[in-house]
Amino acid sequence: MIFFFLLVVLVLIAQIAEFFIPALPWLYNAHVYIVPVIVFYGAMALPFPLMLALALYAGILLDVLTVQVIGGKVEISMGSSILLYAVLAGFMHGLRPLFARGRWEVHCILSGICTSLIVLTQYLMITFRRGSLVFTREIWWQIGGPGLIAMAMAPILFWFLQWMGRVTAYSYLPERGRFE
Amino acid sequence: MSRTNIIALLIFGAILGYFLSFGPESTRKFKAGVYQLIAPFLTGGSGLQKQITSVRTGLKSLEQLERENAALQVENRTLRATNQGLRDVEHEVNRLRHALNYRERSVFKLIAAEVVTRDSSTWWRTMTIDRGKRDGIETDMPVATDVGLVGKVTTVSDSISVVLLISDENCKVAASIEGSREQGIASGERVIAGLNPFLNLNFLSKQADLKPGQKVYTSGVGGVFPSGLLIGAVKTFRVRELDGQAQLTPAVDLSHLEDVFVVTGRK
Repeated sequence: MIFFFLLVVLVLIAQIAEFFIPALPWLYNAHVYIVPVIVFYGAMALPFPLMLALALYAGILLDVLTVQVIGGKVEISMGSSILLYAVLAGFMHGLRPLFARGRWEVHCILSGICTSLIVLTQYLMITFRRGSLVFTREIWWQIGGPGLIAMAMAPILFWFLQWMGRVTAYSYLPERGRFE
Repeated sequence: MSRTNIIALLIFGAILGYFLSFGPESTRKFKAGVYQLIAPFLTGGSGLQKQITSVRTGLKSLEQLERENAALQVENRTLRATNQGLRDVEHEVNRLRHALNYRERSVFKLIAAEVVTRDSSTWWRTMTIDRGKRDGIETDMPVATDVGLVGKVTTVSDSISVVLLISDENCKVAASIEGSREQGIASGERVIAGLNPFLNLNFLSKQADLKPGQKVYTSGVGGVFPSGLLIGAVKTFRVRELDGQAQLTPAVDLSHLEDVFVVTGRK
């Protein structure tokens, strides 16, 4: 439980840190997303109910801090990011057997793919509202760039969170024996 | 699936349904509440970021000094640090004096605000300012600098507000062009390719013969933005199938904003 609360605090810190990390001009103004990497780690490390709680929390934060209410209209309704996080985290949760075997690459690759999927889904949702579906090179980079950055960050965060788990004496997988 | 997991899934579904049922007003209120909760972290982070930037600038100067004169390195480092501190103060004084002058000579009633954070997401261009409901800020109030229009307020909490920048595709501003009777709607682009965003001025007549450099002002139509605020200057003009479209360079450098004014009305 301590580990879960530490993840909750880390998600908040990461979400606030994202405000202060500027977009990367050398990567077509791609943004840096740290939160998904932490959430998807939690999805593999936490039991199902806590995974859902973490997805709910991260989704609310993402919705609150990004969704804009303009002239009495909301482009992306509150809750859409919760659903998105829950679906992706649920998928990652299904790969716990690989996590149990210490396969950090799974977290690394899927964090990147899922981060890009979040940005892509947001783009598709706003496009549905605003019209004119266009995919230029800049748009592809702004969707793919955050995924690549997440992949680069994932091993470091994975190592850090594993260390944190050990420090807090978190028993990652009580059912480990079933997978090995 | 175990019983605990089913219960967790049901609770999750209920909470998700609750959030999905939010309308615009509930979303705005919830958003304002969360912003109010994290406001101390945002303002604290902003201060920390400024300090880090200041230290980084100082280190660059040290490298130059090393190259120029190795013998005087230690002495120069001390002087440099002192000067850096004084320059920061001087810059701040000049900035505030400039802002104060603008507020006094402006025809608008203005509330000065400091930028706390900028864009945190890929598809929306926003920034956060350190003024809120208790300072008299309300939703849809225009935000400007002494140079021109910046955007409008979309979410207001007690001590912090979110501003939608004119470079966002959703920030639509009724505009008129200097030396012409043309009127159009200015808005940002969905994706910014370079460092500096451009604006699109749509719904112009095909005959509008706009020249690069012509200034574009708010026309006051629509009621959100008062007339006479500079939006930018014409960069290019092209005729489309149904209308004319101009690309504008914003008057304000939106990527380096430090202080802004919220327009609360006319004097």
